[in-house]
Amino acid sequence: MVKRAGVGFYIFLIIFVFLVMFPFIWVFLTSIKPQGEIFSSFQWFSSNMTLDNYASALETRPLLMYMMNSFVVATLTTIISIIVASFTAYAVTRLPIRFKGLILGLVLAASMFPQIAVLSPIFNFVTDAGLRNSYLGLVIPYITISLPLAIWILSTFFIKIPLALEESAKLDGATPFQTFRKIIFPLAAPGVFTTAILVFIAAWNEYLFALTINTDDRWRTIPVGISFYQSQYSVPWGDITAATVIVTIPIVVLVLLFQRRIVAGLTSGSVKE
Amino acid sequence: MKQPKKRRFQLSERQLGYAMVAPSIILIAVIIIWPIMLSAWNSLFDYRLNDPAKAERISSLSINLETYADNRYLVYDTMEDVRDAMPDAGGTLDDITTALDEQHETLLNTDEGLADRYEEVNTMLDNFQPVNDEELRLVEVPEEWADGFANTLEEQTAAVQGLREGAPEEAVQPLTDLESQLSNTQGSILEPNFVGLKNYSTYLGDGRTWTAMLNTLLFTVVTVGVELAVGLAVALLINRVFIGRGLVRAAVLVPWAIPTAVAAMMWTFLFDGQSGIMAHYMAQFGLIDDPGALLSTGAGGMFSIMFADIWKTTPYMALLLLAGLQTIPRSLYEAAEVDGANKFQQFISITLPMIRSAILVAVLFRALDAFRVFDLIYVLTGGGPANSTESISVYAYKLLFEQQNFGAGSALSVIVFLSVALLSTIFIKLIGSDLFSGRLKQ
Repeated sequence: MVKRAGVGFYIFLIIFVFLVMFPFIWVFLTSIKPQGEIFSSFQWFSSNMTLDNYASALETRPLLMYMMNSFVVATLTTIISIIVASFTAYAVTRLPIRFKGLILGLVLAASMFPQIAVLSPIFNFVTDAGLRNSYLGLVIPYITISLPLAIWILSTFFIKIPLALEESAKLDGATPFQTFRKIIFPLAAPGVFTTAILVFIAAWNEYLFALTINTDDRWRTIPVGISFYQSQYSVPWGDITAATVIVTIPIVVLVLLFQRRIVAGLTSGSVKE
Repeated sequence: MKQPKKRRFQLSERQLGYAMVAPSIILIAVIIIWPIMLSAWNSLFDYRLNDPAKAERISSLSINLETYADNRYLVYDTMEDVRDAMPDAGGTLDDITTALDEQHETLLNTDEGLADRYEEVNTMLDNFQPVNDEELRLVEVPEEWADGFANTLEEQTAAVQGLREGAPEEAVQPLTDLESQLSNTQGSILEPNFVGLKNYSTYLGDGRTWTAMLNTLLFTVVTVGVELAVGLAVALLINRVFIGRGLVRAAVLVPWAIPTAVAAMMWTFLFDGQSGIMAHYMAQFGLIDDPGALLSTGAGGMFSIMFADIWKTTPYMALLLLAGLQTIPRSLYEAAEVDGANKFQQFISITLPMIRSAILVAVLFRALDAFRVFDLIYVLTGGGPANSTESISVYAYKLLFEQQNFGAGSALSVIVFLSVALLSTIFIKLIGSDLFSGRLKQ
């Protein structure tokens, strides 16, 4: 912690960040090159920059529709799983119930199972229920991923709130649910928000269920939509790089705004404090 | 006055706790545990969506007329023996006969020509001829009939068991025979697409499964190993105060935050034989023979996938480990310095033990993620060339949704599930209760 940073350190840091960011930089530089230059040269900068690729990316495929779909599905998933998970995390961390270890063990096991193991029964279920190519058809399977994740992270935030607060709420005559709703939940708001961001990103990025369940182009999400830009015969790299830049921008904004919270959420529980 | 009130408060608190836990438990049971069990169940069938005869697990329920006719004859024969040995059982035996005859009539009326086929089978049996012709022997039956028939058999078996209590000694043997013949009759009802563990034996004996399994293991070991080593090195180097921390953190988080499928598309472009800059420079520096080699050879494809994964996840690993490093009290290092320990000794005896659980937790979650890898491979190489980069999840997906073979695909997904369960059990044994330490007050 107290080691001071020298010039050599900053050089290392710049190289590291450059290596990490290189694919984005290159993809961005490609996206503003004219079609002809993408295939012929490995020059970094083009002398005739153009936005043609962006126009083409938005025309050939309903990219904005994909983003809309992803946004709706990820938001619904986040809201549902945060509500359900906050109840559970609260009960497990702060209420005198039995089998806490068992419940958390179940949650942990649920967060570890491979999605492929539930894919075909959920596909059958969603098909039978007529939910293929709909938002709900994705939200239901996404709960399998987001709910255990949310419980797992939320419980680390809930347990940090001092017990004394509840005791005094109790003395003032608050019911246990009032204590949860009016004291604990607001106090844990930063943790809840952090969890919500992580759940949202997980749902936004999901590929396997989206690929299988929403096969209609109208209902595809971003990850699946992007992967369908390449056809069997031609790979329109101009379109693909432009589309990649467009869908990466919201993520970059999200990360820039909330990087501190995201790191807190990711490292919660893996580090003892 | 206060005492009972307080107790009631305690009680409702606990009830509230269970009520709050219930929705999650129900959801987990319904959309995770139940589907996993269904997968395991599906894997026992030769269950194919694209084959009408096997499109459902039970719809092609059939009866084996040979077994049925054979046992029907035996049952009636044995009932006569029972009647001789135990005259007062007559009423019950009549009931059994009536019930079986009624089911028999219903069966013969379910399909035109069934009565004739039954007669033909019966004649063959009378002449001690085996009925080898499947077309003749197997008849599809309605589920209602099969259920009713099974119920009747069960009821009649119970009736026979009832007779055995207090039966004279000479009637015990025929009654035992009758019971087993009734249950053998039930065996004539066939679910033809039930194959038991056959999907497992087929696919465990298949080279492609083992290639996929080895690819998955290789991918897991190499990526997690490199990510841990590089991530730890980076974490150690940046564990200090410097300007622009937030910016570095954000830069490092972006690869982690973008969808894997999008990252895979980016790397497909960078590795591309014609316009990919990675392929171009690797060929220029003589690392590969020609730029096309990355995505057109098995080794190149494997390298590409691993490289893309390492790029996406190492920064994340470094962040996790950095958080672990920052919890180590500075005083430990000061004390070690006073004792004359060098940097390497400090690393071995302070740093590593202090972040052991952070490392294990990070490796556990990474290894599980890596083991179920799907998006990256599916988008980047599609498992190719010639299945040489296929992971077990990709192979299972292809069986399920490209070949529509739900039985075999489920068998593979159960294998993935069991492998993951084994892997996590080993890790959790290693990590122990530390995993729960931040969540439960002991």
